[in-house]
Amino acid sequence: MRKFLNGPWVLLMPTLIILTCVVLLPLLLSLWTSFTPFKLTKPDTLYRFVGFRNYERLIGDIDFWIAFGRTVLFLAVALNLELVFGLGIALLINKITYGQRTLRTLMMFPMMFSPILVGFQWKYIFNDNIGLMNNFLREFGVIQPIPWLVDGILANTSIMAAEIWSSTSVFAILLLAGLLGIPKDPIEAAKVDGCNSWQVFKNITLPFLMPFVFIAMTIRSLDVARAYDIVQMMTGGGPAKRTELLWTLISRTGYVDAKMGMANAMSYISIFLSIAFTFFFFYKLVEARQRLSYE
Amino acid sequence: MLRLFLSLVLAVSFFGSFSAKAETELWGDYSGVTLRVKLIGGGQYEGLYNEVIPWWEENTGGKIEIVTQKNHFELDKEIKKDIASGNLDFCVASNHTSFASQYGNIYTDLNNIMPASVLADYTPLILEHSTVDGRLVQMPRHSDVSNLYYQKSLYEDADNKANFKAKYGYDLTPPETWDQVKDQAIFFSNPPDFYGTQYVGKEEAIAGRFYELIIANGGALFDEDYRPIFNSAAGVEALQWFIDLYNAKAVPDGVLNYLWDDTGLGFASGTIAMNLDWAGWAGFFNDPENSKVAGDIGLVRAPMGSGGLRTGWSGSHSFSMTESCPDKEAAASFLWALTSNKAQMIEARGGLSPTRPAIWDAIIAEKKAEGDEFMLMVFETFKMSLAEDAFTPPLIPEWIEFTNVLYPELQAAILGDKSPEDALATASKKATEIMEDAGYF
Repeated sequence: MRKFLNGPWVLLMPTLIILTCVVLLPLLLSLWTSFTPFKLTKPDTLYRFVGFRNYERLIGDIDFWIAFGRTVLFLAVALNLELVFGLGIALLINKITYGQRTLRTLMMFPMMFSPILVGFQWKYIFNDNIGLMNNFLREFGVIQPIPWLVDGILANTSIMAAEIWSSTSVFAILLLAGLLGIPKDPIEAAKVDGCNSWQVFKNITLPFLMPFVFIAMTIRSLDVARAYDIVQMMTGGGPAKRTELLWTLISRTGYVDAKMGMANAMSYISIFLSIAFTFFFFYKLVEARQRLSYE
Repeated sequence: MLRLFLSLVLAVSFFGSFSAKAETELWGDYSGVTLRVKLIGGGQYEGLYNEVIPWWEENTGGKIEIVTQKNHFELDKEIKKDIASGNLDFCVASNHTSFASQYGNIYTDLNNIMPASVLADYTPLILEHSTVDGRLVQMPRHSDVSNLYYQKSLYEDADNKANFKAKYGYDLTPPETWDQVKDQAIFFSNPPDFYGTQYVGKEEAIAGRFYELIIANGGALFDEDYRPIFNSAAGVEALQWFIDLYNAKAVPDGVLNYLWDDTGLGFASGTIAMNLDWAGWAGFFNDPENSKVAGDIGLVRAPMGSGGLRTGWSGSHSFSMTESCPDKEAAASFLWALTSNKAQMIEARGGLSPTRPAIWDAIIAEKKAEGDEFMLMVFETFKMSLAEDAFTPPLIPEWIEFTNVLYPELQAAILGDKSPEDALATASKKATEIMEDAGYF
């Protein structure tokens, strides 16, 4: 006992207790509820164990898997576009010699808006009747209003536009930090050796940036996989489930239908998606770092 | 309890420029009592609190602490979380007849708390709708039913009359049936500048509109055992009405994302010919500062379906008292104040439909005296509609969950992703699972 009290465990105890209370216990409780028919309005159902029934129902629930697939697609497209735009912005700002700080601050403005507000703004922009987009197009002769938030492809694209507008600056900031940390010597040496700008970017800048790219990808993949506010504000997952993502479905199941047991089962399956993306990006991060150290 | 009954007085209330019939008042001395309350928020609802709360505090010595004030759907989520966590540390909450049955027994049976003389001041049918499993769990605040607003000038235009008669073979008059609404909506439409009508297109809103149309067509959602029976000829006919208007571009393209504010503001913008909507919008529609159709509005009772019945999906906003409330006497007094003659007159002046017969008489008398022909027409139409056409949705805890499986299928059929039959078959299958899980059969 004396040895224990003098050991490192004592110093770790406060952290362990806090982590247990705020992370482990809620996780275990939600895991337990996923094996029950727990309804928010019927607290007694928390104690009725039904085994894997919720999971079995989800396996056969085509709506859930369509939402799951759409979330993966949404994640893949949004992340790649954010990367391309973020990288472009970072490269441009890195070139600026005057006013870079001001531009960096301006670039972060979209991140400062609450996602709910972003959803409202973009819902208004894409409103078929009074929206800015259709009124703008009308000036150019597009008389018939485009149903931005009704057509399946357009609605998902509109939501993606809002998501990208709101969060591309996360990529830009992280990649700009990476660009500022790249040593100048290899770039100057390459230019002396006759490399053009594209060759310098492809063979020197990009390999140095890749660890930052994967860190940004990991952070944003977790964010986008939990996309809720913007989608809820713009379409609520509809119409006819055309924009349904995992978290609009989970939220409706848990809080509107009050079926929290089923919602938690959905959440645990969806967590595998986040784990898979995180694992993949960390694997690529390590690989990029190793490649950098070899070179 | 004794304190409450000792404080009962029978009085005649005089307020504003009218006198209502005798009202049983429920005052008491509640000095030192603080009631925690959770209320529905929003411009339409908060005016009542600004007047009634100070009035109640002044007359009783009690205090009101507003814990939450948010829209009804957010309030619903919060109360469900409160139930799950067992944290029911408030006394009074806003409620609704369509939502009340979800909350189990957290709310007190007011039959045991409110004196019969107080309950006698409310419309008996509305009290019946406020009752869940024989327990009166809410005091009705105001009732809702929808009627059809339209732009009068469209029906007075000689060209419109002649062209419509030539095309459809009958006179252009405000519609009596939903088929006529469809004809006229298509006739008036000139997209994207002007549309014949519109409908709320998602969530409980469109499910409710479908429900009332299926009833008007002579169908039903459920049989006596709560087995879904809406996948029927009446159901397909009701759904086809929404589809036809959408395909004919007689409603805006984005209508499936519309909720109540969108349809209300749309009609006020002057770009919609006919609009089925609640009484509470009447004042807004006829206010030149907010509405381009002010002074040009007609109103008729909701039209009839093919079954000869008028649509009349109805419900009442209300207030409930928690079973865990430590001071039920004070809470009962506050519930009474929130739904009293004074309170209902305040809301009626804004266009909302009262739940006390005395206030119907009073507000109609007031509007007659003021010579306000428009609001007089509004109150007379809604009074008749509530008396003769109104019906509630099934007052079961599964109503909202049911609407969440129904509305995506309605949308899919309207957008052409599925046939009406397929959409209703899918919704029916899912609804059957909900009812089976709930133990109805």
